[in-house]
Amino acid sequence: MSDLKDLVREKLKDGVDAFLCLKDEEGTLLPALITDADSPELELVEAGGARYPMGKILIDLLREYPGKRFAVLVRGCDERALVELSKLEQVDLDRLVMVGLACTAEEARACGCTRPYPSEIALGEKAEAAPGRETIEEVEALSEAERLRWWKEQFSRCIKCYGCRNVCPMCFCKDCALENPHLVEPGVIPPEFPSFHVIRALDMTGRCVDCGLCEEACPADIPLRSLYRKMQEIMEEKLGYRAGESPDEKSPLSFLGSEQDIEKLEREQ
Amino acid sequence: MVDNGKELSYRLVPSTCVYCGTGCGVLLEVMDGRVTGTLPQKDHPVSWGALCVKGWAVHEFVHSERRLTAPLVRSGGELKETDWDTALAAVAEGLSRVAKEHGPDAVGFFASARCTNEENYLLQKLARAVVGTNNVDHCARL
Amino acid sequence: MTNSIGELEDAEVILVVGSNTTEQHPIIGERILAAVRKGAKLIVIDPRTIHLSSFAEVFLRPRPGSEVAYLNGLANVIISEGLEDRDFIASRTEGFEELKKAVAEYTPAKVEEISGIPAQDLVAAARLYAGADRASIVYCMGITQHTTGTDNVLALANLAMLTGNVGRPGTGVNPLRGQNNVQGACDMGGLPNVFTGYQRVDSEEAAAKFEAAWGVEGLSRKVGLTITEMTEKAAEGELRALFIMGENPMVSDPDINHVRQALEKLDFLAVADIMDNETLRYAHVALPAASFAEKDGTITNTERRVQRVRKAIEPVGEAKPDWEIVCAVARKMGASGFNFLSPEEVFEEIRKVTPSYAGITYARLGTRGLQWPCPAEDHPGTPILHAESFPIGKGRFTPCEFREPAELPDEEYPLTLTTGRLLFHYHTGTMTRRSPSLVREIDRAFVEVNPADAAELGIRDGDRVKVSSRRGVVEVDAKVTDKVGKGVIFMPFHFAEAAANLLTNSAFDPVSKIPELKVCAARIEK
Repeated sequence: MSDLKDLVREKLKDGVDAFLCLKDEEGTLLPALITDADSPELELVEAGGARYPMGKILIDLLREYPGKRFAVLVRGCDERALVELSKLEQVDLDRLVMVGLACTAEEARACGCTRPYPSEIALGEKAEAAPGRETIEEVEALSEAERLRWWKEQFSRCIKCYGCRNVCPMCFCKDCALENPHLVEPGVIPPEFPSFHVIRALDMTGRCVDCGLCEEACPADIPLRSLYRKMQEIMEEKLGYRAGESPDEKSPLSFLGSEQDIEKLEREQ
Repeated sequence: MVDNGKELSYRLVPSTCVYCGTGCGVLLEVMDGRVTGTLPQKDHPVSWGALCVKGWAVHEFVHSERRLTAPLVRSGGELKETDWDTALAAVAEGLSRVAKEHGPDAVGFFASARCTNEENYLLQKLARAVVGTNNVDHCARL
Repeated sequence: MTNSIGELEDAEVILVVGSNTTEQHPIIGERILAAVRKGAKLIVIDPRTIHLSSFAEVFLRPRPGSEVAYLNGLANVIISEGLEDRDFIASRTEGFEELKKAVAEYTPAKVEEISGIPAQDLVAAARLYAGADRASIVYCMGITQHTTGTDNVLALANLAMLTGNVGRPGTGVNPLRGQNNVQGACDMGGLPNVFTGYQRVDSEEAAAKFEAAWGVEGLSRKVGLTITEMTEKAAEGELRALFIMGENPMVSDPDINHVRQALEKLDFLAVADIMDNETLRYAHVALPAASFAEKDGTITNTERRVQRVRKAIEPVGEAKPDWEIVCAVARKMGASGFNFLSPEEVFEEIRKVTPSYAGITYARLGTRGLQWPCPAEDHPGTPILHAESFPIGKGRFTPCEFREPAELPDEEYPLTLTTGRLLFHYHTGTMTRRSPSLVREIDRAFVEVNPADAAELGIRDGDRVKVSSRRGVVEVDAKVTDKVGKGVIFMPFHFAEAAANLLTNSAFDPVSKIPELKVCAARIEK
């Protein structure tokens, strides 16, 4: 098995312009962009530990540096995000080299996603998925009225930090419905129930890759991930679609088509 | 796509949110010499990877059009742009003159709960060791 | 804070008083709610119904300015029901008998008369607080910004000592500091009475120590003026030059019209700031300062955690960091001892003269910081103060008598105005109002009015109203809401164009010199 440092060096020599991975800075793991195979930063790169929204960072990098190619260290969730983002025309996979990292068994258990490894594994060993459904089962055992009350209580702690949206690799809209004063009253906490959270949950449908970064970033520990996970279960059951799994098949909910299609429709009207 | 020739640069710089006194850990995203975003520091002992709405937006004022970008000196009733040397000389002269004519206690200093420890230390040192007054306070009470 | 933020989750009971925590210190507010989820009981005391109130086991909504009365009332109930911690009182405190005598007259019935808190609610709060093994008090400016601010804090300390809630995890008396570095500015001697680490300027020993350290002679032993006093002296023509670093008194200070007169009267005003602000208009020299993203340094949070800010980009335009500005001014004035090449060099000097910071180095701070006191490089820092003893040995109970605020409602100004901050803005708004995602949430001043008062005055929600006090008048939108009690109105103070501080009273606490920003008499008209 190769070591991350060698992989970064190899990819940079193979013609990618920069490698996005994590590095240890004074004891804290944070994303770093390595552009030079001889950089002293290479000594600090780390494969495991903290997770950051690599997809989100790449959207910005690909846009800011149009002629450049990037390599990125991806876990299963990062890969799903990039695949889905490419279908949504936010990243160009031809300019990306994904280097796969499998989550450890312990990470997989703690996280509970359905595929804690990418399609090709360069680092780490594939651990079995241990889907976390405890919260979903707890809520499913309730009556409908109780469920609404349960969620209302969870969301009553919300202080509208927008962290769930800000950290989400799948949230990239320039105009966010959460900021539309006709849909959500601005300037008040907790934000209106259920509009704020229903808007976000609907936006996540067919899009959420179950990375769980939203829940990690939530200061109120709201079980957001279980809500979005349930939405994905329904999507799979009813429409047979899981975000980020297949690179070709588009989400059945992307009925609006691409931005170009919309512009065309608008012109025709 | 055509390469725009920009040199690749993207860094995250660990820092501390500068709004309230909680002191949450932030990572400032820096691209092309500009602060473009904020991420929470995952392992921070106060904020543990979370931030409030202000923390997430803490980079937004940095490149504001309202930033002061040049020293200004009043002349003819108006503040006019000048060079640093002239502005600093005017400050030194203004403080020295009043201290000389009316005594050091005719001079006062507002330190700042928005500035660093080092800056507050230096300001009180300036007030006490150079001007000779203990008239130094900040908005702790406001 | 005597204790640390993380410990709030260990508390059995949390008493939040005069702090709208989820709005003003949101991440700490969420720690309080996490404690509630783990079973902690919450007591909230605030003149406004706040986000936290809906999670409270007991919510008390007193009239602003009645703090000493209801805090003494809590002590009264604790003592009369025998709920005090006798072992702690005997071993760690003195003055209990005096306290007992002083609070005897603050019966729940009398407190109800003064504060409007129903007697049975006060009793419930007292039993809850005293009944816990680990109870934490969290407070903020709602306690301190009163002419009785010092007494309010002492009355809280009395409660903690009375119940032995000191020096253990999940206990303590925990002020939440409002500004990112208000703790550090105090620690660094940005106060008129102390050098760094609270070493008194009128102590011969301390003054001599700093004379030796700085290589100067004749440091003034006379305690200097506070901000409010400097403003006063400037208006009287005694203070003639002012150097303001990173503050905006033309929005933040009480009675702004008076502040303006004072600034206009100065012979010389220099302002260093990152933004064009309201105070700049009166400056003779304005210096562009670098923001936190453009410099290195340290700041100290509310739990005494010294943390790094790091230079991420070059200063915008010609801006310079304040540390460079101050050094350059000092050198221009012919001073030595200001030839620092980096903030780290300055910090090394701070360590030498400040025992509580002596063990802290930039290398040790890393990305997680250290909590002072940290007297030596092998010391781990101090999450909990007063674990074994108080700095003065035994903790002293200080009896406090209720006094009315400096200005009470009357026929002319029949309402009580209280002020505060909002989640989406910060202090004078120089930063947040240049931040698109915050401005999008709210960017207009308003006044909250109780529906009963609004009905009497014929004011409807959204009406433009004039709010006036003896010191000024502003026009704002009315928000009719039962968040405020009858007779009380609330305004945020972020908005310079409708500045709440045109109305507020600059009367101040005799000891702490804090102005009474939380209470003044006001009137509303359509």
